[in-house]
Amino acid sequence: MPANNLLLSSSPHVFTGVTTRKIMLAVIIALSPTAAYGVVLFGLPALALIAVSVASAVLSEAAFRRITKQDSRVGDLSAVVTGLLVALIMPPSLPLWMAALGSFAAVVFAKEFFGGLGANPFNPALIGRAILLMSFPAAMTTWHAPFKGIADATAGATPLNIVKLGGSVADVGAGFVRDGLAAAPDYGATLWTLFVGNRAGCIGESSILLILVGFAFLLALGVVSFITPLAMVGTAFLASWALGLDPVVGALSGGLLFGAAFMATDYSSSPVTPLGKAIFGAGAGLVTVIIRRFGGYPEGVTYGILMMNAVAPFLDKLRVKKYGFVPPAKPVAKEAAK
Amino acid sequence: MSTKTFKGGAHPPERKERSASSPIEVLRRVTQVVIPVNQHFGAPIQPLVKAGDQVKRGQKIADAEGRMTVPLHASVAGTVKKIEPRMTANNLEGLAIVIEPAEEDDAVFMPALDPFSCSKEEALARVREAGIIGVGGAGFPAHVKFAPPPNKPIEYVVANAAECEPYLTIDERVMEEAPEEFIDGLAIVMHIVGASKGVVGLEDNKAKLGPVLLKAIAAKGNGLDIAVQLLKTKYPQGGEKMLITAITGREVPSGGLPMDVGCVVSNVGTLRAVSEAFRKGKPVIDTGLTVTGGACETPKNLIVPVGMLVADLFPDAARYDEKRLRRVVLGGPMMGPAVPSLQVPIQKNTSGVLLMDEAEAKVFAEGPCIRCGRCMRACSCRLSPALLNAAIKAGDLDEAEKIGALDCIECGTCSFVCPSHIQLVQRFRVGKQLVRAKKQKEAQRAGK
Repeated sequence: MPANNLLLSSSPHVFTGVTTRKIMLAVIIALSPTAAYGVVLFGLPALALIAVSVASAVLSEAAFRRITKQDSRVGDLSAVVTGLLVALIMPPSLPLWMAALGSFAAVVFAKEFFGGLGANPFNPALIGRAILLMSFPAAMTTWHAPFKGIADATAGATPLNIVKLGGSVADVGAGFVRDGLAAAPDYGATLWTLFVGNRAGCIGESSILLILVGFAFLLALGVVSFITPLAMVGTAFLASWALGLDPVVGALSGGLLFGAAFMATDYSSSPVTPLGKAIFGAGAGLVTVIIRRFGGYPEGVTYGILMMNAVAPFLDKLRVKKYGFVPPAKPVAKEAAK
Repeated sequence: MSTKTFKGGAHPPERKERSASSPIEVLRRVTQVVIPVNQHFGAPIQPLVKAGDQVKRGQKIADAEGRMTVPLHASVAGTVKKIEPRMTANNLEGLAIVIEPAEEDDAVFMPALDPFSCSKEEALARVREAGIIGVGGAGFPAHVKFAPPPNKPIEYVVANAAECEPYLTIDERVMEEAPEEFIDGLAIVMHIVGASKGVVGLEDNKAKLGPVLLKAIAAKGNGLDIAVQLLKTKYPQGGEKMLITAITGREVPSGGLPMDVGCVVSNVGTLRAVSEAFRKGKPVIDTGLTVTGGACETPKNLIVPVGMLVADLFPDAARYDEKRLRRVVLGGPMMGPAVPSLQVPIQKNTSGVLLMDEAEAKVFAEGPCIRCGRCMRACSCRLSPALLNAAIKAGDLDEAEKIGALDCIECGTCSFVCPSHIQLVQRFRVGKQLVRAKKQKEAQRAGK
């Protein structure tokens, strides 16, 4: 009788086989094309920055959990994702120690202090970026045109910088031609250059094409929902148009697409309900454009998402009506019944 | 024929092919039976026999007054050896009547009764006297289900032929081998409740049964309007609420019953028992089940006496590889309980014995909720399991009730899809009790 080696467990007794680790691995794969292209654009310094940032995130998590006597969670790969996301939203010339600090802040301050994976109210990578932006404003806003190396090249400007300083889309196009990134300064060529991602900017945010490829991969696997990104980009598009900015250029430049695809879809800092996701995305898109148009910074994706992160727990109250929902009897009717 | 379904759900591996083509074997000879007295949902009943008594097969051995009770019958002829608490299928001890079979298999059944000419009261009394309970779920007394109050007219009787639990094939076999008995049962229930429509809800992985059933409807449908509706093969398609929604488009109101939307739902096994109770006068003394799983060497479908110990199935009726056996589940893998030993009796509502091997019996450590939302998309009741879990964990029972703790049907889909292997259903079972206790306290306070 095998009575003593029979497993007892609560039903159900079968599982999908999808694990947290596999989900994180899917995110890493989805981020790989745009990360690789960042290295193509900005060379080995970008690769070093990615490596340092990931290593710092993993080590910070392992050390924190060890010091606080918690089980190691290195195996679930979530720290790798955080480190990778931090690196991809950094300028390529950022000193490596700053990147390490950013990852440390993301993992320890934004994530582990709140309980670790799944418990962080704010997007860890964006918190890391926000802290660095406030601490080292110069290093965090030094940009380089692609394909020229960053060691001794002169600093360039991002398309949004040009727009912020009063430039037009034509000025952006002229800049591309000057840097040898576009053949002609016309509107179509400018948009194409932006879409492919051959521009100054953060390591992983520039190639719209590869961001869409990565996002499509996550969508196909059911890892993320399309609701938040669609609401965010759609709202940003409409708001840009309403506020007199070029909506197409606005959607293709800065970190809007990257933020919408990979930051606003962060599980733990965004709502889980469909309506909550839609409002969250719309709010993030709106705040982004308001900052771009009226704020002191050229780009507003970071704060747009972080501000909506704060609202996410409330948006979770917007649940789908449960099966067989019966509206509660109105108090008036109750009184009448008595 | 169009295929209907509900929103949500998941696709666990079916694994039905191992036993689907094996004809039902009827097992009569056993060395003992241990019949749990209370197998139904409702008020407890008391033994009518004592140790030493001789009983015949089909003889009533336990009963009680009261609406929510059903009698119990001896599943073999023989001598009552003991009446004592035994471990039962739900891992609780319950009073059981132990009978040692005699050489001769004396049976005492009720006289046959024509369901279409007898009165409604006679028919309901017969359903009760036959000890019929809903074998698809909690064991709700059938005579209560078939007698809704006059202000709840019944339009549909739905035969639950979805058999959405993986592995199980007994309903499929019953429909293939005894379609006329099954359809006869459906027609009888329609007659009793006065329903104008009968629908057999069949998952489309069993679409080949369609013609068989249509033929049986022509022969045994008693001229009633009975249709076969194909349903998408998706778990939990056989959940009472999901079935009603898929077929009628109606939703059973929260806290309500199928009769609130004009429906009565009965399982294949229940309907067959109804037919047997009238045509043969036979009470529920045996049960159909599938014996299968990775460690089972002889996957098959059986009809066995109620009270037979799982252990007694082996090695004569079926065999398993002791070295590979890791987990035993009574019923399907999504909702069936795992049992600590094979010394548990098979009940009226035991639909399967799963002998799972190492590969099937994986146990995972729970991880943190990453709020991925998979459970929210999968929940067949649209309940936001992730938020419900958080509310219960935080002790916020008001919020848990609002989210719908009491609406959870415990189908297990949320736990099945959870990438962190959080035991959501188990939490909700506990949470339900807490919410009920809270409501009770509130009601008491309001009463004072």
